[in-house]
Amino acid sequence: MAGGEVEVVDLVKEFNEVIAVDGINLQMPGGEFFSMLGPSGCGKTTTLRMIAGFEEPTSGQILLDGHNMAFTPPHKRNVNMVFQNYALFPHLNVFDNIAFGLRRDKRPKAEIRRRVAAALELVQLTGFEKRKPGQMSGGQQQRVALARALVLQPAVLLLDEPLGALDAKLRKALQIELKELQQQVGITFIYVTHDQEEALTMSDRIAVMSAGRVEQVGPPQALYEEPATTFVADFLGVSNLMTATAQGESNGRCKVALGEFKLYASNGDVSTTGETRIVIRPERVRLEAHESTGENRIPGMVERVIYLGNGNQIIVGLAHGERIQALVQNTGDELAYRQGDPVKAYLPAEALRVLTDTGTAPLEDDPRAHAAVQPAEPVAEEASSPNVNV
Amino acid sequence: MSQTLARRPARESEFGYTRRLRGWFGNQWGKPRFLVLVTWGYIVWSIVPVLIAIQFSFNNSRSLSIWHGFTLKWYTSTDPNIDSVFHSAELRGALEQSMKLAGLDVLIATPIGVLLALGLARWRGRGSGASNFLMLFPLVTPEIVAGVSLLLLFSQLLTFVPFGTVAQLLGHVTFSISYVVVIVRGRLFSIGPSYEEAAADLGAAPATRLTRVLLPLLLPAIVASAAIVFAISIDDFVISQWLSNGANSTTVPMEIYDATRATPQPSTDGIATVIMVITLLSVVAGVLVYRFFTRGESGRGSAVDDVAGFGI
Repeated sequence: MAGGEVEVVDLVKEFNEVIAVDGINLQMPGGEFFSMLGPSGCGKTTTLRMIAGFEEPTSGQILLDGHNMAFTPPHKRNVNMVFQNYALFPHLNVFDNIAFGLRRDKRPKAEIRRRVAAALELVQLTGFEKRKPGQMSGGQQQRVALARALVLQPAVLLLDEPLGALDAKLRKALQIELKELQQQVGITFIYVTHDQEEALTMSDRIAVMSAGRVEQVGPPQALYEEPATTFVADFLGVSNLMTATAQGESNGRCKVALGEFKLYASNGDVSTTGETRIVIRPERVRLEAHESTGENRIPGMVERVIYLGNGNQIIVGLAHGERIQALVQNTGDELAYRQGDPVKAYLPAEALRVLTDTGTAPLEDDPRAHAAVQPAEPVAEEASSPNVNV
Repeated sequence: MSQTLARRPARESEFGYTRRLRGWFGNQWGKPRFLVLVTWGYIVWSIVPVLIAIQFSFNNSRSLSIWHGFTLKWYTSTDPNIDSVFHSAELRGALEQSMKLAGLDVLIATPIGVLLALGLARWRGRGSGASNFLMLFPLVTPEIVAGVSLLLLFSQLLTFVPFGTVAQLLGHVTFSISYVVVIVRGRLFSIGPSYEEAAADLGAAPATRLTRVLLPLLLPAIVASAAIVFAISIDDFVISQWLSNGANSTTVPMEIYDATRATPQPSTDGIATVIMVITLLSVVAGVLVYRFFTRGESGRGSAVDDVAGFGI
C-alpha cells in the first residue's frame, strides 16, 4: 500500500488544565516502524489516541499523506489500532472479529471470507475461526487483534503497548515476528511502548518522549550512542551520568574536570564550558590494574560485583566520590577483580559524551521519577541539537 | 534430640471434652464450622415457614395447621364452594393484574433504564456525579414514602392519571428504573470504553457501535435487570395498594393480605406459592441467561455478577 506518511504538527492536548501533549512535531515517512518511547505519563499514548481519533487535539495538525485529519472521526480514518488489552469483541468469534471492519465497509461475502482467511494465515492462526477470544491465550488474542486491524489494509497501523500483557519470553518472540510482519506488509507502524529494549529491537526510528514533549528522535543506534539529553541517556539503557566542569575545547576534544581529575571527552557538545554532565555506557568502561597510567584514568575501588550470567556488573567507587558501573563480558576466564580491590577505571575519550543540557534527571530506574522531571528548556536545546531528525 | 521429642507423650488437657468441642468449632486450620452453623441456622429460619405455607396449600382440608393429606383442589377445583387459585374470580383476577403490571413494567422500565444508564455513564461534567448518586435514591427511599408521594401527586396535581392499573404501572416503573440503571451501568463500567473504540476504529458509525457491540455486550445485564424488575414488581405491595382503585386493580400481594386478615384458606397459600415460583423462575432465568452470555469472559464484571447473579 502506497502512502502512509504521518506528520504531526504542533500537536497539543490538554485535559482539564493538565497538559498531556505539549506541542510535539513528528514526521513518519510511509513504511517506517516508528516507536514512541517514554515513561508512563509522557504523552505517548495520548498522541497515539489522537492519531487514531479517540481524542480531539486541543490544537495542532495530524496529517495523513498530506491531509489534515485531526478532526475526522475515528471510523472515517484510514488508520487502525491494536489495543493494549486487544479489545477483541468477546461476543464474536475470531472470524466475526476479523470480519467486523470488512462488514462495516459492506464488502461482498466471498471477499470477506477470502480476506479473513488471508489475514489469519498472515498471523498463523488458520483454523481458529470458530474460537471465542475467551478461549485463546494472550499471545493468540494478540495475533487476532493484529489480523483484525491489518485485514482492512490501513495506511498506518497504531500499536499501543501490544506486548505489555505477555510474559517475557513470548514478548521477545513476538517482537521479532512483529518486525517481520511490518516488513512483509510494508505499511507504517506507529508503536507506543515504555520498554526501551522493545523499541530498540524493532524500530526504524524512535522518538523518546518525556513530560509531553519529544526529547530526541532518531534511529535506535543514534539514540543509544549519541543521546542528546540527560533524559535520553538515562532512559535508554544503563548510563553512568556524572556531573563535571567543562573547561573548553582542545583538538576537537572537551577537557572536563571531574573532581580533581582531568578527562577528555570527544563526543557530544565538546565546545561547552562550565558545569555540564558527561555520560559513558557501562560496557565502554574499562577496568585496569591499579598501577596502570595514562589519560582518562581514575583510581577507584571495586564496591560490588554482580554476576549477570552473560557478564559481570561491577560497581566501582571512584576516588572523587562518584560511583560508576562497568560491564565486563563473561569470556569464561575468571574475573580479575573482587570486592575491595583497588582498580583504575579507564574512561576512553571516544566513549565519553558531553551532554547539551544539565538537567537533573534522576539516576534511578523508576519511570515515575522521570515523569516528575520537568525539563525547563529541552525544546530549545533539542532544536539546536544536531541529532534531531525531526 | 529429635528422637526424644518424638517419644515424649502429647500433653492431654484436663478438660478434654470442652477442649475438643472448642477445637471442633474454633480450629483455625479446619473448616469455619461456626460460620457454617450460623449460615444454616439462618437458611432454616427463613425457609421453613415458606415451606410450611407451601405444604398447606396442598392440604386436603381448610386447616392451616393440621395435615389431612395431599390434594390439588386449592389450585384447580371448579367447585364454587372452594376458592381455587385458577378458578376463583378474585384470585385469578389478582394473578392476572400482577402479571400484567409486572410484564408492562419490564417492557417500559427496561429500555428507559438502559438509555439512562448509557447517558449517565457517558455524561462527564457538572452534575453528573450528583445525578449518578440521585439514581440510587429510589432504592433507598422507604416505599411507604414513595407510595404516599405518588398518591398525592396523582390525586392533587396530575389528576388526569386514573387510579388503578395506570397509576400502579407508573408507580412500579418509577422505582424499577433505578434497578435497571444500577445493573446496566455496572456492566458498562466493567466492559469499559475500549470495545466501542475498537468498533469505531474498524469503521463502525456511532449507531452501529451501539447495535453491534454495546447492546450485545450489555445484553446479559439487560436480561438480568428485566428479571429483577419482574420479580420486584410482582412482589410489590405498598405502591400497588396506595395507587389501586379498589376491586379490579387488586394484585396478588394485596389479595393475600386481605384474605389472610379475613379468613385464611389453603388457596391463599396456593396463590402465594404460585407467585413465589414465578418470581423464582424469572430470577433464575435471568441469572442463567447472564451466565450463558458472559461465559468465557474471565474476571470481568465481578461486581455485576454480584448484583445480577446474586453471587450464586
